Amino acid sequence: MSSAAPATTEEAPALPWRSRVIGFIAIGEIGVIAALLLLVAFFYFMQPAFLSERNLRAILNVVSFVGIIAIGQTMLLVAGEFDLSVGSVAGLSAVVAAKLMTAAAWPVAFAIVGGVGVGALVGLVNGLIVVKLRIPAFIQTLGMLFIGQGLIQLVTDGYPVYPLPPEIGVIGTTNLAFGLGWSFAFFIVAAVLADFVLRRTVLGRNMYATGGNQEVARLVGINTSLYKIGAFVTVGALAAIAGMFVMADLGSGGTSIGSGWELTVIAGVVVGGVSLFGGAGTIAGGVVGILMLKVVQSGLVVIGVNSNWQQIAVGVIMVLAVGLDILRRRYFTVGAGARGGKKKPKSS
Amino acid sequence: MTDLADSDYVIEAKAITKSFAGVPALRGVDFRVRRGEVHALLGQNGAGKSTLVKILNGVHRAGSYGGTIMLSGQPVSFASPAEARASGVGYVPQEIEVLEQLSVAENVFAGHIGLGEGVIINRRRIEERTRAILDDLGLDLDPKAIVASLTSAQRHLVMIARALALKPRVLMLDEPTASLSGTEVDALFGVLRRLRAQGVTMIYITHRLPEVLAVCDSATVLRDGQVAAELTRAEFDEERFIFSMSGQRLQKLFPAHDAPLAARPVLVVENLSVAGRAGAIYGARDVSFSVAAGEIVGLAGLLGSGRSEILHGIYGREPAEGRILVDGEPIAIRSPRDARDAGIALLTEDRKRDGLLFNLPVSANITIGNLGPFASRGMVRGERERSAVRDAMRQLNVKAPSPQASVAHLSGGNQQKLLFARVLMRAPKVLLLDEPTKGVDAATRHEIYRLVVELADKGVALVIVASELDEVIGLCDRCLTIADGRVVDEFRRGEGGEDRVLRAVAAAQAESVRAAS
Repeated sequence: MSSAAPATTEEAPALPWRSRVIGFIAIGEIGVIAALLLLVAFFYFMQPAFLSERNLRAILNVVSFVGIIAIGQTMLLVAGEFDLSVGSVAGLSAVVAAKLMTAAAWPVAFAIVGGVGVGALVGLVNGLIVVKLRIPAFIQTLGMLFIGQGLIQLVTDGYPVYPLPPEIGVIGTTNLAFGLGWSFAFFIVAAVLADFVLRRTVLGRNMYATGGNQEVARLVGINTSLYKIGAFVTVGALAAIAGMFVMADLGSGGTSIGSGWELTVIAGVVVGGVSLFGGAGTIAGGVVGILMLKVVQSGLVVIGVNSNWQQIAVGVIMVLAVGLDILRRRYFTVGAGARGGKKKPKSS
Repeated sequence: MTDLADSDYVIEAKAITKSFAGVPALRGVDFRVRRGEVHALLGQNGAGKSTLVKILNGVHRAGSYGGTIMLSGQPVSFASPAEARASGVGYVPQEIEVLEQLSVAENVFAGHIGLGEGVIINRRRIEERTRAILDDLGLDLDPKAIVASLTSAQRHLVMIARALALKPRVLMLDEPTASLSGTEVDALFGVLRRLRAQGVTMIYITHRLPEVLAVCDSATVLRDGQVAAELTRAEFDEERFIFSMSGQRLQKLFPAHDAPLAARPVLVVENLSVAGRAGAIYGARDVSFSVAAGEIVGLAGLLGSGRSEILHGIYGREPAEGRILVDGEPIAIRSPRDARDAGIALLTEDRKRDGLLFNLPVSANITIGNLGPFASRGMVRGERERSAVRDAMRQLNVKAPSPQASVAHLSGGNQQKLLFARVLMRAPKVLLLDEPTKGVDAATRHEIYRLVVELADKGVALVIVASELDEVIGLCDRCLTIADGRVVDEFRRGEGGEDRVLRAVAAAQAESVRAAS
């Protein structure tokens, strides 16, 4: 026992400092935020117009649509599942709401609630099938992506729903501040709220546990099915809301709303340090990741790079980000292989 | 190679030592197997059998242990299982590892499917060679059959054929009967006798005595990482085996605990039956017992006997039939949540697989599932949680750099104490412990013993599953011996020792062999 005393006095000052540094680096957002700032600085250096009011507004406007979905997707990924149908759900909800307020002549508010209901319902179906029937989320939500596309065509006969009631135009064109409207406001409020839920609430903690190891979560008494289904419903509802904001922005229920968003959303949140394997990542990280992707896309246009390179850049960044993330994790946190061995020689 | 005649011994291990994180697993083991014999490697769980096997088949690399290995008189050092295999050490693992969607022949030649002749698979030749091996084994299996269509016993034989395809000098069989029924065991013994007649040397790893008596020519008994006995067939005797397996062991000190006198039963289990988990054939069948407040009850028995399944059934982890009463109230347990709400807690056996959450820090690992007291209106109160975590860590002496540290870097002992802190958060009335001292160092082991006794003194009813029999005997007030999913013996502290457990298990095994034939 004599060896214990010097060991603790020696470690006491060193450890908090070291663990704080590790903790700081191990936090997912730090890396992305640093990368984001570097990219912004780079594009500004190359072309000061990148930080022009107009360009910033354009970036933030696009980010608000995709970002709303990213919030839900991040929560779902944290709970250990993911959803490829978000783009279809956004589009489907938008055209359903548009039809309800035009062909069915529902009051605008009811039609919007109806649209959100469609999104939540699709999420519920996804969740029930994945959790109860144990169909992999990849298959179920990929199937739902196609089903959603088909339903959009069925609902609209392939024509955009137009014209929409004037209230929709008001939602789409309101300028709250800096030329940004309701979608951006909703995005910010939802992001802050969701980030708080994941970080600080029992619900959030249980989601991390569910995504980290479902069996452990079940054994400590967490209703993991409920959490996963709930997360699917949340993603569905948020995708629907995003779809309707786009509809308001365009002023019509276009059939291509949401098309292709699913991959942008997943790429973005993964760049932001949200793990595809569940249990790791934050809303802040996911949102910053999306912002970063959009900054790169916009920045390349602004500095005059051929637009085909945008796609390539997005791909490279995603793989790079995940690669760095895996390295970081291997180094700082989980080390199932790195147990025992090194910390033992005190025993004799 | 002219070394074949140089030595009587096909394989020899000399003065083998091996430690894990400072805990010795093998302490100077000499082990040798004569050409052409079936040699049993016996010992209780934790005696060092699997460590020795892993050294012989290259899983533990040369250099990670002390001592030398000789193959037919030549010293060898294996850097990998592949090297051991290539040098002639065949190994048939306990778990069935087959490629289900491929044919028997493809499985037998998996890994060298080209037969070293090029890149194109010669299906006919592989099938012919497989046919020949199966004939040697006396098996009537179609080499073209898809493995998915075979029974688990047949799959096991395919794995033996796979090991034989490389013409090993010695074939190691690791608990080959673990997943076989009585008649399948007989069939396997037929195969082994046939192989012996063909001159194949075998090492038969087991802890089942009747099987050793049935097929083996000689035996080495390990105990606490040392050789306790080396016996030839003429010396075989069940009593002698039991004596050398249990005999004088390393003294572990158990804190004193007196069973409560005439205390009320807290947990009553009536006619509990639990289905086996995937892979394990025995669940529990018709198990009844009760545990009083302050009583420590041990479930003794071999791996796969159904001990853990009993705990899982009580905790609602596996679907179970039967009645469970807590404090006299019948409880309907359909999920772990129901069990937890009834005041039952379970410490699982496998920390890494179903204990720790590697994505969360130490503090969240302790409080997960029990956040209620540290939350108001759904929000976790950081300060309250932190202080509870600090208290729990101090009480259980969990050593971690900080409550925010990752659990991955903690020692096994500290991980285990952390999980104890988690299950104790709700002050359970009934505590089910599955191998609570598995993979922890000696000091932590002792802390855990003290903790168990302390909890019992506070009136908690404890049920402990432990593979190391001395632990059950030394720690528990009452011991239930489990074999084939049933309670086959029950005795109180002082009424018997490890030998009584082993005898009851052997009797139950002999019984089931008789029943099957």
